[in-house]
Amino acid sequence: MAPPTPSSHRPRKKRKVAISPGSNNNLILDLGEGKQSPAFPLVSFLWAARAGVSQWLILPLVLMAVGLFRWAVSLWGYSGFQVPPMHGDFEAQRHWMEITTHLPLAKWYIYDLQYWGLDYPPLTAYHSWLLGKIGSTFDPTWFALDASRGFEDPHLKVYMRATVVVSEYFVFIPAVVNFLRRYTRMQGVHAWSASIALVAVLLQPANILIDHGHFQYNTVMLGLVVASLDAILAGRMLWACIFFVGALGFKQMALYYAPVMFAYLLGVCTFPRINIPRLVSIALITLATFALLLAPLMVGASNLEARKAFASSPVPPLLQALPIQMDKNSVTYGLLFQLMQIIHRVFPFARGLFEDKVANAWCAVHTFYKLTRFEATLLQRASLGATLASIIVPCAIIFRHPRASLLLPALSAVSWGFFLFSFQVHEKSVLLPLLPMTLLLAGNGGLSKETRAWVGWANMLGSWTMYPLLKRDELRVPYIVMTLLWAYVLGLPPTSFETYRSRPSPEDSSTHFEPSTLTTLLHFGFYLAMIAWHIVEAFVAPPPGKPDLWVVLNALIGAGGFGIAYLWCTWKLYTQCRQISRQATEEESQKKKQ
Amino acid sequence: MADLYPSLAQCAIVATAFKVLLFPAYKSTDFEVHRNWLAITHSLPIQEWYYEKSSEWTLDYPPFFAVFEWLMSQAAAYVDPAMLVVKNIGYDSWQTVYFQRATVILTELVLVYALSRFVKSVPLPNKQAAHVASLSILLSPGLLIIDHIHFQYNGFMYGILVLSIVLARKQSTLLYSGILFAVLLCMKHIYLYLALAYFVYLLRTYCLSLKSVFRPRFGNIFKLGFCVVGVFAVAFGPFAQWGQLLQLKDRLFPFSRGLCHAYWAPNIWAMYSFADRVLIFGKWCLPLTAHTTYELLTISVVAPRLGLPVNTDALNSVTRGLVGDTSFAVLPEVTKEHTFILTFLFQLVPLIKVWFNPGCWDTFVGALTLCGYASFLFGWHVHEKAILLIIIPFSLIALKDRRYFSAFRPLAVAGHVSLFPLLFTAAEFPLKTIYTVLWLVLFLFVFDRIAPVPERPRIFLFDRLSLLYLTVSIPLVIYCSLGHQLIFGWDRLEFLPLMFMSSYCALGVVGSWVGFMVVYFTA
Repeated sequence: MAPPTPSSHRPRKKRKVAISPGSNNNLILDLGEGKQSPAFPLVSFLWAARAGVSQWLILPLVLMAVGLFRWAVSLWGYSGFQVPPMHGDFEAQRHWMEITTHLPLAKWYIYDLQYWGLDYPPLTAYHSWLLGKIGSTFDPTWFALDASRGFEDPHLKVYMRATVVVSEYFVFIPAVVNFLRRYTRMQGVHAWSASIALVAVLLQPANILIDHGHFQYNTVMLGLVVASLDAILAGRMLWACIFFVGALGFKQMALYYAPVMFAYLLGVCTFPRINIPRLVSIALITLATFALLLAPLMVGASNLEARKAFASSPVPPLLQALPIQMDKNSVTYGLLFQLMQIIHRVFPFARGLFEDKVANAWCAVHTFYKLTRFEATLLQRASLGATLASIIVPCAIIFRHPRASLLLPALSAVSWGFFLFSFQVHEKSVLLPLLPMTLLLAGNGGLSKETRAWVGWANMLGSWTMYPLLKRDELRVPYIVMTLLWAYVLGLPPTSFETYRSRPSPEDSSTHFEPSTLTTLLHFGFYLAMIAWHIVEAFVAPPPGKPDLWVVLNALIGAGGFGIAYLWCTWKLYTQCRQISRQATEEESQKKKQ
Repeated sequence: MADLYPSLAQCAIVATAFKVLLFPAYKSTDFEVHRNWLAITHSLPIQEWYYEKSSEWTLDYPPFFAVFEWLMSQAAAYVDPAMLVVKNIGYDSWQTVYFQRATVILTELVLVYALSRFVKSVPLPNKQAAHVASLSILLSPGLLIIDHIHFQYNGFMYGILVLSIVLARKQSTLLYSGILFAVLLCMKHIYLYLALAYFVYLLRTYCLSLKSVFRPRFGNIFKLGFCVVGVFAVAFGPFAQWGQLLQLKDRLFPFSRGLCHAYWAPNIWAMYSFADRVLIFGKWCLPLTAHTTYELLTISVVAPRLGLPVNTDALNSVTRGLVGDTSFAVLPEVTKEHTFILTFLFQLVPLIKVWFNPGCWDTFVGALTLCGYASFLFGWHVHEKAILLIIIPFSLIALKDRRYFSAFRPLAVAGHVSLFPLLFTAAEFPLKTIYTVLWLVLFLFVFDRIAPVPERPRIFLFDRLSLLYLTVSIPLVIYCSLGHQLIFGWDRLEFLPLMFMSSYCALGVVGSWVGFMVVYFTA
């Protein structure tokens, strides 16, 4: 693409904020003699847009381009393809469409739990129902009850892949576009930088590989979280609650973000002065949204047939633990049964501390010091304690300084804390801390070398820890292509070392936007380790007796890196908070002088 | 100084990432064709290359392409030797797919090189336009659909063609341009359609004095003649030695095929066939207004019983989707001779200008484009893929001024949309449509911004029509890909969308041809 000829283009009106494109972000390198060049390839691709091309043109083009990459990844394998008898996540999602379209609501959470019983919250169930209904109009055999288990038709694959893309384009993409627009305006970032950040966020390799490769609907949950953040920026706290409850109701994993949202909303009601009506309305709207979310399932559980179905299935442990005795034929019993069953299914406390090899603290400790010697309850308590310890600082900061601009680093820090120390973590959960961290690219100085280096590094590391999973799904080629593409467009190793090279810049403020020597060494160490690991994994067989050695090594390196990412996010939160409060006091003192 | 960002290399890298992701996409029988050629050239002596017929996909490209396959087969032997066995018909292990797809991507580097030479060859004021034009060729949806999904090596061959065109720009490199074109002819004989333009241009600009037609430059004539004859001698000499030239002729020019390809390429004959269908409709069926469309088209069964002179074979022939003779029910038959004469005549017309403008590169490229048009529009058994023969030379001059661009616009839409039926699988539907729409929106917008204002005023009615034409494409594509199935179901009147599509596209191609003729002769 090329810029317009200067004569043919005249901006319609002057912008309110007089900032040159690329200010604060070092997007344009000055080569001297009036020559300019883009700082990294993504800037180059949007080079022509810097002269203020309409968003009505840029946005559709960007969305089409990133959509093409998503669809191309989806041509590859998915989780559980041709792996009977249980298959994988693709089959789980298909199976939920099958049971929700064919069974009454009362049976959704109790039907044949051994074969991919529904264990996601209600919004996922409704989503599956809708997709199952639409899919059945194309071909009812895709979702025939029981008969369709393990069905693997190419047309079914196309349909399922299309549902992921459509869900993403209905939820995640509008949320991210709106959020970035508001966030960049708030941070005083030029629209051109915002477009660049948008492309970077939408090309996040981990999201694309898991949702469109492995097969899941994470972007719906993430999109609802981003919509909630957007509502906060817009000052619509109640909408923020509704969207966030929606995210929780779609995937319980959104709980990683819950402490920050809670602390923020509580902080907003407490500082600068206590605002009781606001607190009450937030509490009420949250409860009402939860009630609305559960309402269809509750109505479905209130009839006689539902109670018959409940009578023939095992009583959920939570209900057994209740101290009261109830008549098994009463409506209340049916409702309680349904509620307890959903909670029991959604939060599987009976499972172990961690699953498979995941790059968090427990798995890392376990490698050297077997944790199985301890009782499960002790481990659960230890996990709870460690998680709380890791999130207490960011939560306290966001509670005391409930500023919208601090939300992103706080969310990243807290979700890194959860990922590292909490219970039952999947390798895919790394998407949660990566999202707010990647959104930092849109902030003030977000595309500067320093932030870009850290965010890019965390994304590379996150995708890398998922490699063993992606390898099982035959997604090696998309993994290589998407991660290298991300590194290339953002000018990161292994494709370019430009980010870590310091250059004399015309903008004198840029010095502290460059990565320090320590950062450079740290990142290079990790990049080297990742490359070396890939080489070893590909060409050297693990020693006999330790078949999982390479996977364990991957998890160990990953856990170390994520720990550093946690510290960086917390540090970022702390420094930004300091900066904001310093600015605030300066402004106040100036006012006093006047 | 114009900013040439993103650079060709940057676009090539991102495009390569996308193309690698397309490895598992749908591949046509052309994939098996090329695998079979790898096997034939690798495992048989040269004398048997053009006689081997275990597979129905016999070698029907000229010798240099066979040698190119032989070269690739040397590498293929390390990847998966099983793909080089002639008897392994339909073999497609993942190694084979990765290998063949990767060769398409790698050989396309020739195109990247040729385009960078093109940008370098352009003087500074026009550099930016040349850069944009070369990006549009590099990222062309035509190449993506035909090469990277359907499977062929057009990127490589058009790379050679572009390089040859660029070399034709300077007097000092004209000889190399001629040699390169001769080599190209020995790789794929479809480029014979452009040979006349090369012949006239080289004769006038290289072999005769620029100032006078009557002053031949014997040194140049000798050099060019020697080199071109040499190239052909190397390619065909051995086969002549073995007495195989007649066999080669039969393989390279299979004239038993019909006037139109299975799916009508959007040319004059598609319009002719469409007119024939409409006339059948009008002549016998219009008075019976109560009939539905479906009943009308069953007339082929009814009409003969009523004693009406309808050529029943003809009625269904075009709808069948088989490679065979097309015949017409109402309009007179078209013979090979007719198509040859028409093609030749319409190629000669633009060459007159080349003859009288010696050394004018723009005229030469315009003539190449018009030769491409003539052969595509009037040729015998034209493939829809041959549209690249027009689009790629035209792209090089489309940004000369706005008049060129307005002739290019309907071609860009019609030419690329006409490729859609090549890919009919559900998974590739979003790929082909979104990629093409992305390319059209992006490049038509950028072209529109940077195409300079022409020296002569334009006829503005043309713009309105072309805008109307663009708009119609949206409902048409929706109807052909979705609407038709919803209305008529999967298996009724399945030829109808194809017929609409090719007639619509034919209109665009013919329109842009007429428009470009006007621009070419008035410039």
